[in-house]
Amino acid sequence: MKKRIAAAILLALILGATLVVWLSPYNYAFQDRDAIMAPSTPQHWTGTDELGRDRTVRVAAALLIGLTGATAAAVITITIAASFGLLAAYSPSPVAAILMFLSDVFLSLPWLFLLMMARSLLPLTASPLQTAVTTFLVLAAFGWPACARAIYRGAAEFRSAEWMIQGHACGLKTRQLVRLHIVPHLRPLLLPQFLICVPAFIVAEANLGALGLGVGEPMPSWGAMLLELENSALLARSQWVYLPIALLVVVLLILESFTTEIDY
Amino acid sequence: MRPQMIILSRVGRTLLLMLFAAAGTILLVRFAPGYFTDYREMDTRYSQAAQSEIQAEAVQQQSAGVIAMRMVKSWLRGDLGISRQYGVPVAELIGARLRVSALLLVRGILCGWLLAICTALPISGMRKGGILWGLPFTLLLAIPTAAMATACILAEVGGPVLVLSLIVAAREFKFLRNLLESTWRSPHLLQGRAQGLSPRALVTMHILPNVAPQLRALATLSIVTALGALVPIEVIFTVPGVGQLAWSAVMNRDLPVLVTVSLLMASVVGFAGMLSTRAVTLEEA
Amino acid sequence: MPRQLRSSLVFACLMALFAIAASGQAAPRRPGELAWAIHYDPKTFDPAKVDEQASELVRYLTGGVLLRINRQTQEPEPQLAESYQVTPQGTLIVFKLRSGLRFSDGTPLTSADVAWSLRRVLAPATQAVVAEEFLSPSEVVVETPDALTVRIRLAKPVTGVGKIFDEIAIEPADRPSEGRVTSGPFTVTDYKRGQYVRLSRNPNYWRRDSSGARLPYATGVRLDILNNREQEISLFLRGEYDLIDSLSPDYFAIVAQKAPQSVHDLGASLNTEQLWFNQFPAAPLPEFEKAWFQNRNFRTAVSMAIHRSDLARIAYNGHATPAFGFISPANKLWYNNDLKYPHESVADANRMLAASGFHRNGNQLYDATGHPVQFSILTNSGNAARQKMAAMIQQDLEAMGMQVTIVDLDFPALIERLLHKQDYEACLLGLSNVEPDPNEMMNLWLSSSPNHQWNPSEKTPATSWEAEIDKQMQLQASTASQQVRKLAVDRVQQIVADQQPFIYLVYPNALQAISPQLQGVKAAILSPGPVWNIDFISRKEGAR
Repeated sequence: MKKRIAAAILLALILGATLVVWLSPYNYAFQDRDAIMAPSTPQHWTGTDELGRDRTVRVAAALLIGLTGATAAAVITITIAASFGLLAAYSPSPVAAILMFLSDVFLSLPWLFLLMMARSLLPLTASPLQTAVTTFLVLAAFGWPACARAIYRGAAEFRSAEWMIQGHACGLKTRQLVRLHIVPHLRPLLLPQFLICVPAFIVAEANLGALGLGVGEPMPSWGAMLLELENSALLARSQWVYLPIALLVVVLLILESFTTEIDY
Repeated sequence: MRPQMIILSRVGRTLLLMLFAAAGTILLVRFAPGYFTDYREMDTRYSQAAQSEIQAEAVQQQSAGVIAMRMVKSWLRGDLGISRQYGVPVAELIGARLRVSALLLVRGILCGWLLAICTALPISGMRKGGILWGLPFTLLLAIPTAAMATACILAEVGGPVLVLSLIVAAREFKFLRNLLESTWRSPHLLQGRAQGLSPRALVTMHILPNVAPQLRALATLSIVTALGALVPIEVIFTVPGVGQLAWSAVMNRDLPVLVTVSLLMASVVGFAGMLSTRAVTLEEA
Repeated sequence: MPRQLRSSLVFACLMALFAIAASGQAAPRRPGELAWAIHYDPKTFDPAKVDEQASELVRYLTGGVLLRINRQTQEPEPQLAESYQVTPQGTLIVFKLRSGLRFSDGTPLTSADVAWSLRRVLAPATQAVVAEEFLSPSEVVVETPDALTVRIRLAKPVTGVGKIFDEIAIEPADRPSEGRVTSGPFTVTDYKRGQYVRLSRNPNYWRRDSSGARLPYATGVRLDILNNREQEISLFLRGEYDLIDSLSPDYFAIVAQKAPQSVHDLGASLNTEQLWFNQFPAAPLPEFEKAWFQNRNFRTAVSMAIHRSDLARIAYNGHATPAFGFISPANKLWYNNDLKYPHESVADANRMLAASGFHRNGNQLYDATGHPVQFSILTNSGNAARQKMAAMIQQDLEAMGMQVTIVDLDFPALIERLLHKQDYEACLLGLSNVEPDPNEMMNLWLSSSPNHQWNPSEKTPATSWEAEIDKQMQLQASTASQQVRKLAVDRVQQIVADQQPFIYLVYPNALQAISPQLQGVKAAILSPGPVWNIDFISRKEGAR
């Protein structure tokens, strides 16, 4: 898929979602209690959900919130992982050992309890947007250790690469080598991790709803809509339940086309 | 460094990791909301009995330091403690479940890797349509684990191994395809293809040796991915493994079980870290 | 497609097929064995130490008891005891045992075993929950004048003799076996933690049917430990489970579609769903919020603003009944038919708020001191119907100008806020009423109780109406006269309807799925639901 076409589709999706939310006669929270799980009609293009809320508006709003939050969180987590991994790879061995040890400790701990503490520190009347932002920040803060070691190993391998030796010989500083050469060589590790993080964070946000975090009602949550797929009773009632996942696949394909090397 | 010293240092590192993991778990669980609670408190018939038990426990477990000291003393006696929710020794609970989880992990990771490699190799070498050929894996990334499990149950096919394999394969495919794409385009590969080397020779003599170091790094990542997916898979499919026990322990704030699970997690992470270290380090010693 | 690509993809597919494990299957069923799922491991098999529902079910299926409450008529029926008498003062109960009783291992069952079992339950060291029913268990004296007679002398009369002895399993004296040696229809023969509990027929069970055939009809019971509703339903539809005793309203329609003869909606259960406000004076809330929650007009206005019929229709897919009191209409003995309660009316709700100084400015309601009315409702995660109700109540109250935030918490964190720290504003939860007798709810209604949820552990009743509730509940607990008890409980129901400390929302209906292959099942709402007459339940011959 050409990158320009992909960018155009993504822009169209975002614009379209914004217009739907802005111009729709229905608020994403409004419950039409006489139209529960209604099929698509001229009033409700993609029908309604279990509480009679217009699905089109909710999916559009969820796309905007989820895409923003998950993409931002994925970028933050990749940045932290890359910084950590690179710092470890180009520091003296004892420092590298300590950093990797810390990363492993991070991986071994049950951070769910810290999330529970985070919820208990938030006021109960925190708005859905505040809990959503907190959730995505928390996900970004804890999503990096898994990737950091892979980046560390990858970056450590490059220390003895020919182009590194040539770069040093040409007088490039480590900072310049990192920016101009190492980071591009790490793209095969960083970009797939980004692609994996986006849907993982969207679903994780919904799962954290069980702890009081996540996007609170009545704000629509993309992850919660994806989790509807586990409910066979809902799947039997409406085909529009598949809309959020279809959109997510389209978004992921678009993101993937930005992140692949080859221009198809 | 001599090989024996290297092995000793790795084992020592893992033991230290386990100690830190245990300490961190005690702190997190003890001070998380809901530690001194019991779901029976909400049942008017059983609430008084439950509250007396909790009060007695609260007197003994006020300080995380006291809890930690007691645990260390019992570990030195070979005792992993008594489960708060089941009232039986933790060793007895975990022992029976370790084998189940280990088998599930090994099968899931191996099958996931095989699936990822066998699909990433040809797809990464394609000039056109690679993204669309990779669409099934993009779809797998988007589907929540619980939805995959429901699909298996409704279709009456598949089970925990299939779901774990697919999760691992979807993630590894993305890495492998990107890695292999750049390798396919490297000059020596182009030279080999131009000179008519068979695909098998290209893969075995040029591609795999080139990407072996990154593959080792990815191996750590896939172990961590599989460990993370283990809990929802065991819970949803009711597999009597460590993941299911861990989830139940989280919901019931079962500290002795959670500390033991953290110790196990730390040992696996430590082992995975050892795997990703270059074997040549030992050879060089 | 290039050959190498094709062969690689074929290999990949073969790997995928290799990875396919068998789909979740229940363990193989033995002939004549009944099977269904429970949602978590029983904590104990010792019948004297039962303190949660899974263990209660195992005790029900295995423990032989002196009396059993018929779950349809709610009347006690003799079991191990052939007859019993209670003196008019209620301080002496005499049981006459059947002759020829044996335990499952063949040893005789006599009054000595009954006395031992009773004394063990009453002993403080056992911490048996049922001991509290005796009011002063340490003063209870058990005598055995002969092998078939047991005399129990009580210091104070107790209510619900049948119900108390329904929960005391008779075990061999000095040989507690945790359900392995029993006098009930089944014994525990196998237990794999996290997987299943297997019960086998007691070969020496005393009971026979009218034609003299041995009971129970079933050869055994397998209780699978399974917490996944999708799997439970799939296994039920495949015939591997015989019943689902608490079918979720979400899944009722889909099971009804695939197996129409198997689903049963028994109408309102005894359970309630309710919303309440934190009235604890020392709660960590601003004083103006406490003033709202302690204001009867505010609570009543909230009650009037909620559309209960919508909650029942939408959150429960029609499988719930709007509720206005704590006694469900299914509880025929205790329901107050003349209860006067605030009816749904947004106009009246606005009037009540205005009477207390609340006023609207645009879409926002303000109190008399100018504070916007905003509060949170806590509920527990994992209950889909409750979460839908919360979202619907949020909209109903928004129409009144109140801004409500919904907070889902996991159960331990919720309990800590509710019962330990009282750090919450409003809460939406359900109450599972296993017993129809309101005496079981003493811990909820007595103002001094830690379970007096809106204001726990009051040293003295905070209001005159709470004092009145205390008085009436203690009256009904201390008299054997059904009429006096009924009047007292009616009075409590009316006070609660007037003051709205709990805003009752719905009574969820009792939904069950029972395989058409089962015979002998008699529908009942009271726990343990469809298996209450387990002795007479069996599968049809040749059923899969």
